[in-house]
Amino acid sequence: MTEAAFQLSGIVQTFPGVRALDGADLTIYPGEVHGLVGENGAGKSTIIKVLAGVYQPDEGRIEVGGSSVSPATPEKIRDAGIRFIHQELHLVPHFTVAESVFMGQEISGPFGLSKRKMRSRAEAFMRDELGTELPGNRLIRDLGPAERKLVQVARALVDGAAKVVVFDEPTAPLASEDVRTIMTAIARLKSRGIAILYVSHYLNEIIDICDRVTVFRQGKNVAVFDEVTKNTGSELVSAMIGRALDNFFPTTDRQPGEVSLRLAGYDDGKTFSDVHLDVRRGEIFGIAGLIGSGRDELIDALYGLRKSQGTLTLDGATLDTKTAAKAVANGMVLVPRDRRHDGLVLPMTVTENATLATLDENASFGLIDRKKARSATERLIKDLDIRPANALAVTRFLSGGNQQKVVLARWLAKSARIFIFDEPTVGVDVGAKAEIYQLIENLASQGAIIVMSSSDPVELVGTCDRVAVMMRGEVRTIIDKPDLNVDHLVAVTTGATTVSETAYAS
Amino acid sequence: MQASARHQRHRLATIVGLLPLIIFLALLLYVGLNAPNFLTVVNLKLVLTQSLTVVLSVIGLSAVVMAGGDDVVSGGIDLSIPATAVLCAGIVAVMTSAGQPVILAAGAALVASMLVGVVNAVLITRLRMAPLLATLAMFVAVVGITNVITERKRLNLNADSIAALRGDIVPGIPLGILLVAILSLLAWFFLHRSKWGLNLQAAGGSRDAAEISGIRVDRLVAQSYLLAAFMGFVTGFFMLARANGYSPGAQDNLMLEMVLATFLGAAFSPRRIVTVWGAILGAVLVAAISIGLKTIGVNVFWTDLIKGALIVIVVALSAISQRVQ
Repeated sequence: MTEAAFQLSGIVQTFPGVRALDGADLTIYPGEVHGLVGENGAGKSTIIKVLAGVYQPDEGRIEVGGSSVSPATPEKIRDAGIRFIHQELHLVPHFTVAESVFMGQEISGPFGLSKRKMRSRAEAFMRDELGTELPGNRLIRDLGPAERKLVQVARALVDGAAKVVVFDEPTAPLASEDVRTIMTAIARLKSRGIAILYVSHYLNEIIDICDRVTVFRQGKNVAVFDEVTKNTGSELVSAMIGRALDNFFPTTDRQPGEVSLRLAGYDDGKTFSDVHLDVRRGEIFGIAGLIGSGRDELIDALYGLRKSQGTLTLDGATLDTKTAAKAVANGMVLVPRDRRHDGLVLPMTVTENATLATLDENASFGLIDRKKARSATERLIKDLDIRPANALAVTRFLSGGNQQKVVLARWLAKSARIFIFDEPTVGVDVGAKAEIYQLIENLASQGAIIVMSSSDPVELVGTCDRVAVMMRGEVRTIIDKPDLNVDHLVAVTTGATTVSETAYAS
Repeated sequence: MQASARHQRHRLATIVGLLPLIIFLALLLYVGLNAPNFLTVVNLKLVLTQSLTVVLSVIGLSAVVMAGGDDVVSGGIDLSIPATAVLCAGIVAVMTSAGQPVILAAGAALVASMLVGVVNAVLITRLRMAPLLATLAMFVAVVGITNVITERKRLNLNADSIAALRGDIVPGIPLGILLVAILSLLAWFFLHRSKWGLNLQAAGGSRDAAEISGIRVDRLVAQSYLLAAFMGFVTGFFMLARANGYSPGAQDNLMLEMVLATFLGAAFSPRRIVTVWGAILGAVLVAAISIGLKTIGVNVFWTDLIKGALIVIVVALSAISQRVQ
């Protein structure tokens, strides 16, 4: 076999309390496109940072082109010809293509910058190596997302010394037709003998372009596929998912009622379009989707945090949620994904946070009735089992799970009808997770309408009655309870199974 | 459809970006029509002479804005340049009045000015203070020091070499204008035609992008504040030359005109960003408006109101233009 372009072996990387990599191996050969897949938290980004020299692993060897690099520093790795295309674009909007490509490696002559030379070299590189015609004097802010991505690629590779290129989720912000542009560029690089490590959640893309695939799970490589065919998709999915359905999900015989909440024609003109959803009373309705699927943006739009078109009706009557204040007034509340920034006022006490939305009820003539607010909060603390059971505790010092309960307490005090949960258990420990799921289940049993957006397939399968799967701004399918299992949900979410097959699945 | 929407937004942004310029030219036209002698060669020379201190300070300010980004609240800004200028003027005036040689006075003023720059750089790149607040505080503090040094008295100029800035070097062209023109060209070259300048703009345009490309952002930002302090130092001599000595209170008007000119200048650039030559043109325009309003007899207090309002308009429109994009 030919010599590896780089080889990571036995990498162990620990962070306080977490063993992020636990003896992981990764080997890439010249001229291959190598896929790296795994669930969130499987250790993909950690091993990339180890390769980049950003993290110094506790154990393991890093070899580039047959010789060991120790310790690996970002400079040494760069000099060895390994380049990284970060997920974020990181470009200056008012720079030209040429200026962006040569940022940090400008060409200058005795009379200052050689703008003409940079422009022609940038254009030639884009044309010959990436297969795209892009005028070097165009401004970045006038480019589409795929073209911006290519500019980013050109910046990493224009010095011609690249041997290995790592693409981290290159297509996440792109529309389907733009993905092709990136794929063409990658195929060109491959034909020049450059090794490519392609990290993506989109399994359909992995199957399309990769020659080999490594699957990560819980900090280790659990499988390497030396051959990738159309049928590899389901094998990838089962290799990725090591977790069984945990038994901490609530059991229920709750039957959802009639369709109550209708979303029609939701469209923000950018990240999602043509979203129609019907949610029943007493139903927990899940929304799944990768980063870039428009899931986060849809939730924001639903709650009036993002401008969009579309109508929302509750039992046939229009529900105005054009601003968050109107949404709350109309009985729709959000438990946001970033509770520390958007959900809580961290320096305030549990009482102050829990009664933030119900100040009117706890006040007379504009003055807060502290006693009343306190007793209302104490009741909620008891109902939700918030620990410590101290209404005057400052929320900053509560654990993640208890912070989330305080956010929930605020809305319970408000007696809302529609609850939107956005990543309700991120950063929440297992015990508190089970309690939060039970609270959500109780709300649904009492007839509330629940929309739950999550990136955790296990959580969606464990709690939801139905799950809508979003991909590249569209709702691709809605999975009903009988078909709802983790393998199928992951396969659909990542594009490993196309939607047309869904009807026959399970 | 998306591409055309982007195109439309872009056009809207272009129009909004040009509005400040249009408002300014309209104002200038109004003045020109009401003061028949306004648009003459003699007056042009007066305008240029008047604009010199503003031109010098905007060179410093535009470097700072380039390196720190043009966000009005969190981006780079150095309000202390005019204070550095009066500090320099004050030191030179006091020392030359006391019979010290000009060169020694200039050396002392340079040290003091660069010290202001160093403090700014430390506050902003080490302590991570918001530039707007840090340099506003420095402005107040440095003006305070200047008042201590000069006892807030007018001091007549006692140095012919500085007064020579006013005189003609070749018939018709004063030495001051020539020097500022040369400095402007140098500034344009280093900020827009050198690797250093492009890196400076990258740092301000996207801090992350610059850092990923191996550009040392904090160092560039610190350098921009040092350059600004140096430009404040140079401005001090032109202040002395123009007023034929040190007169207290010159910093307030300079700060107003400097900020106005720099952000107005963004309208001249096709990319709608702060550039050196845009800011210099802006400085000349601002001087023209000042003189014009005086010529048609507008009360000097009203002039301040108009300038203040213009700053609000210029900054608001640039913010709107960025948001539209």
